[in-house]
Amino acid sequence: MKYLLLLYGDETRWENMSPEDSAEDMQRWSAFGEDLTASGAFVAGEGLAPTAAATTVRIKDGEVVHTDGPFAETREQLGGFYLLECPDLDAALGWAAKVPDLGESGSVEVRPVMDYEAAGYELPDAETHAG
Amino acid sequence: MKYLLTIYSDESQWAQATPQDLQDMMSAYEAYTREITEAGVMLGGEGLSPSGTSTTVRVRGDEVLTSDGPFAETREQLGGYYLLDCRDVDEAIGWAARMPGARYGAIEVRPVMDYEAVGADGEIHSREVAR
Repeated sequence: MKYLLLLYGDETRWENMSPEDSAEDMQRWSAFGEDLTASGAFVAGEGLAPTAAATTVRIKDGEVVHTDGPFAETREQLGGFYLLECPDLDAALGWAAKVPDLGESGSVEVRPVMDYEAAGYELPDAETHAG
Repeated sequence: MKYLLTIYSDESQWAQATPQDLQDMMSAYEAYTREITEAGVMLGGEGLSPSGTSTTVRVRGDEVLTSDGPFAETREQLGGYYLLDCRDVDEAIGWAARMPGARYGAIEVRPVMDYEAVGADGEIHSREVAR
């Protein structure tokens, strides 16, 4: 079963970090990534550029409208994600609790990936599910 | 350059949709996925179970706190994502505008953090270079 871990934290925290703290922090994330890979749980993961780099796109009356900034203005911001293969939710929650250092206000949202076949959809092949 | 396209829509509208509406939506996403795969920009993507299946994990001190539900209660909810490899943000926005979800929700386009540009030694020399 695949689970998406969405990592939220106060992104200004990273901007205010000293180079030494940043380097230490990166090492903790690398070590966590190695643990995930060694356990076989790691499927994919990315860190994201700050929300100031986001653009939000909608179609209104047939016209493409884009606005600068993220979809949701929140006190903590989405900073990255991991896609993990876990035997069950508890295993995914266990990994979420080990995510290093999201700061005092950090949190990890754990959401199962949609199982379209179990939900009764007809799929031409396994690679085309998204949405 | 990698871009994360996150798809937000009002998930309650899917709860009211007919099986035909849902199958049409799936077909539209299948066609879109085929198109981005043929264009060579598709790196990954997943559809997510409804936000009610989320668990949010916070670590405070040595305590692991879990709560049911997503990190952020928003009018529209994260329903899935694509990870694309595009030349620039304009190309990524172009693909976002063609996504079925852009017609009834919003697509956030965010560059993935380029850690090499911010220092392969793991040191973040400047957040600005990633923007």
